[in-house]
Amino acid sequence: MDHSLPFDANPTQPAATAAAGCRPDSPQFTDDPMVDRLYGVTLALVAELAVTRTRLDALERVLAGRGLVGEQDVDQYRADGSVQQERSRLHAEYLQRVLQSLG
Amino acid sequence: MGSPASWQNIGRHALLPEARHDEIARLDVIAHLNAYVAERLGPKVREAWDNRASGDWRTRHGREAVDRYEVAEAMANEPAYQVYSLVRRNTMEYRQLVGRQIVGRQAETLRDRARALNASGDTLRLDPAFRPPRYVSAVEQHLMRGGYTAELLEDDVSNPANYDAGLYATIGGSGGPWSNAAGRALVDWLRREYPAFVPQRILDLGCGLGHNTLPLREAFPRAQIVAIDAAAPMLRYGHARARSLGVDDIEFVQGDAADTQLPSGSFDLVFTTMVLHETSRQALPKIFAEAHRLLRAGGLTIHLEQPTYRGLEPFEQFMRDWDGRFNNEPFWSALHESDLPAMLERVGFGRDEVFETRCVAPAWQCSERQEDFGRAPAWYAVGAWRAANGIAAIG
Repeated sequence: MDHSLPFDANPTQPAATAAAGCRPDSPQFTDDPMVDRLYGVTLALVAELAVTRTRLDALERVLAGRGLVGEQDVDQYRADGSVQQERSRLHAEYLQRVLQSLG
Repeated sequence: MGSPASWQNIGRHALLPEARHDEIARLDVIAHLNAYVAERLGPKVREAWDNRASGDWRTRHGREAVDRYEVAEAMANEPAYQVYSLVRRNTMEYRQLVGRQIVGRQAETLRDRARALNASGDTLRLDPAFRPPRYVSAVEQHLMRGGYTAELLEDDVSNPANYDAGLYATIGGSGGPWSNAAGRALVDWLRREYPAFVPQRILDLGCGLGHNTLPLREAFPRAQIVAIDAAAPMLRYGHARARSLGVDDIEFVQGDAADTQLPSGSFDLVFTTMVLHETSRQALPKIFAEAHRLLRAGGLTIHLEQPTYRGLEPFEQFMRDWDGRFNNEPFWSALHESDLPAMLERVGFGRDEVFETRCVAPAWQCSERQEDFGRAPAWYAVGAWRAANGIAAIG
């Protein structure tokens, strides 16, 4: 699983930025800043959903290739404590990507 | 419609960050989003201009829009352009974040690999006292956090690693597995146009990762090659990358392209690839003058870039100006408006020695993807031959 905890997603690490850096404010492309933000979130969701679909596709192919199908297995699965922690970290990282345009 | 190559096909070397399954999927989505912007959303902007905005402008002003500023004004509220810009900008932001996440978790590992590869020999020459020009150190080029000079840890190579991994996705693999299409395009042009020109000493100004330096090594195996850059992280990464690919005789030197400290008349070929737009109004003529000073009689300087705006219709200029307005490339617009041949003349090249041409990357090349306003593997090039004893050189 992709359980990385990058600099940006970890509040104990400095953000990956340098002191210098001419970087004007984000441009606004529509009359309504909320519309711009909505685009930012939506596009990140589009990208992340594509990633998820790719992963599911990979998983299904691996399982099918090994004869290990498991619709029931997945439905009956319950995450234990350490998996719940892992998932919590994944969610934090995921939200950072999806909500980036909100600042 | 051409399909971008998956990141899985990127050329492997010791410094390339490892990317996990989902990270590769993210990089591939970025490539597809960029292709979508170029191939689907770009034409819709053109349609909006042709079918509505240009006519509205004519009605309001009683004349055509004459320059890119007027086109920009006419297009500012066109939904097609707003959507194009929103998707393009957000894809760039997402690409940068994804790259930071991939590299962030392995920054120390990559740094250690670079250290090991760079440890021996004297072909990597960094100068801790060197102060990079502000156009390099103070700008977060194409939204890259911290810019080329950023160091998050000692001997850091994070930003170059991010740049290398992300560039492949940004251009959808159109630069080939090594993202070196500009270098290959230059070599191909030299071989076709000047097969007798065999440079003995070659200088790459603003080499960055050294992507486009390596094709010159392959084409001219006996030449001495020097690659200069202002940013230490780029040089560390570029030098280690070259070594891991079996190239250990290119000198990677930290320095200022406008003041290299190298001897006059010591090179046969002085070139740049996609560098000029990341310099400045003050530095550019000095860089050209430095190239003139460094060339031997009969030598060539050539610079690959995106097309000049000169001679382009206002709408085309407006579209090509997107990076200058929204991708944090502060010198992009001014560079492309400049009369570069005239600038080369002003620094000492003869009128008959200056030329403009087009360099196209062979092979891997170009799917059928249409020109995408900034990312196709074909370049405008401007250059000049240094006269041999007062007589116009090979050109």
